Amino acid sequence: MPAGNKKSNTFRKVFVKTPGGKTVVHHRTRKPKQHKCADCGAEIIGVPRLRPYEMHNLAKTKKRPQRAYGGKLCGACLKKKIVLESRS
Amino acid sequence: MFEIGRLCVKLAGRDAGKKCVVVDTVDEFTVLIDGQTRRRNCNVKHLEPLKEVLKIKKNVSHADIVKEFKKLKLEIRDTKPKKASPRPKKSKQKKDALEETNVKKSVVKKTTEIQVESKQTKKPKAAKPVTKTKKEQKE
Repeated sequence: MPAGNKKSNTFRKVFVKTPGGKTVVHHRTRKPKQHKCADCGAEIIGVPRLRPYEMHNLAKTKKRPQRAYGGKLCGACLKKKIVLESRS
Repeated sequence: MFEIGRLCVKLAGRDAGKKCVVVDTVDEFTVLIDGQTRRRNCNVKHLEPLKEVLKIKKNVSHADIVKEFKKLKLEIRDTKPKKASPRPKKSKQKKDALEETNVKKSVVKKTTEIQVESKQTKKPKAAKPVTKTKKEQKE
């Protein structure tokens, strides 16, 4: 049985062949899912799929698109919002 | 729809949400814009026209558009692009580091002269000053 902290679903099992000929299980962490639009739920492009400690080390411009509501709304939802505001 | 002087809002790109004026028509689908956005060609699908039409001649300069926008109480931020700063020169640091290590080298050399000159003793002692220079460069 694996150790206690490896029993959760954040780990995926990878079967590795050793040079001695045995197959052995390695527990590796999963990548997080892609960010979703706050309005429509579509996947947002431009946000990398990294764990929080890896995101901290990135520059600000590499974490989100350089646009109003970038990383929060998708492009189509932004257009709808701007059109609504301009017509009111 | 998109005649010269028409006020528009930009829908896409990093200028999204900013107001601009049509300055010239290039194609059926592309148009020259200027205003709060950059002065560039733009696809008509990425623009939302507004009610107002300004009285502007073709290919107006940016300074005249700033005056027109002031009447409408729209502010334009004029920012100049940053000039790339020159790369820091590393040659001076190397020379300073070598001067410091030469003092240490002279001390090291005396010990090697006393010992038997063999290739094995020279290599590890030659490696020491190289690592020091790298550390001093990082500092």
